[in-house]
Amino acid sequence: MASRLQSLALDPKLLWIGLGGGLLSGLLGVGGGIVMVPLLVLWAGYAQRDAHAISLGAIIPISIAGIATYGVAGEVRYWPALALAAGSIVGARIGAGWLARIDERLLKVVFGTFLIGVAVLLGLR
Amino acid sequence: MSGPTLYVVLVAFGVVVGVASGLLGVGGGTLIVPFLTLAAGFSQHSAEATSLLVILPTAIVGSLALRSRGVGNLGLALRFGVVGAVASVLGALLALALPAMTLRLVFAVFVGGVGLKLAYDGLRGDTPSTAGDGGLRS
Repeated sequence: MASRLQSLALDPKLLWIGLGGGLLSGLLGVGGGIVMVPLLVLWAGYAQRDAHAISLGAIIPISIAGIATYGVAGEVRYWPALALAAGSIVGARIGAGWLARIDERLLKVVFGTFLIGVAVLLGLR
Repeated sequence: MSGPTLYVVLVAFGVVVGVASGLLGVGGGTLIVPFLTLAAGFSQHSAEATSLLVILPTAIVGSLALRSRGVGNLGLALRFGVVGAVASVLGALLALALPAMTLRLVFAVFVGGVGLKLAYDGLRGDTPSTAGDGGLRS
């Protein structure tokens, strides 16, 4: 496990998860993390904590692709985006600090609950 | 909501989104888009575009914070994400050709099932995937 994380080479499972997560993300307009984290844990066997960290990093290029292809220019409302980002940047540092320390069992429960909530939201929409 | 109140609420909601993003490794669009459409009256397209612009800096700041704590592997994650980025463009093109409602319901069931499994594993204390990673974060 440790050696795999230290390597930068993508193993085949990671390649498939990237393809699947990206495809669903583009297809459904939902975040890739919701797809990638469960697959990284349940299929590729990454530790829960590492799966969340890898997912967050992967969202950087995925969101750049989204911004580049979505036709963002005419539709973004910049002041609300700035206000949200001002808060979320502070929050991200707090959340990342928690991720570094949280008990992995608790993390599973929190994330599982979050996913159930997302499923309900998706079903209602 | 409008004016100063909206902006105060947006910053506060942004903190919540950021915490969720940093802790759970998600972008936060799942939270931002419904909030902007339901509470702030944005159109769906406008909410999604605005959300994308918030997700990027959030993911960067969260990832740098995790790297400085030695969690995960940012270089690997970025390579992994480039694959995902290419696929997401393909997915966006496919979305134009497929019935959205069906896809969404199938996906909702998938996400809900996975959530139940993870929560169950966590509550039961059964975390087979974490076995042997003791030295990983050192």
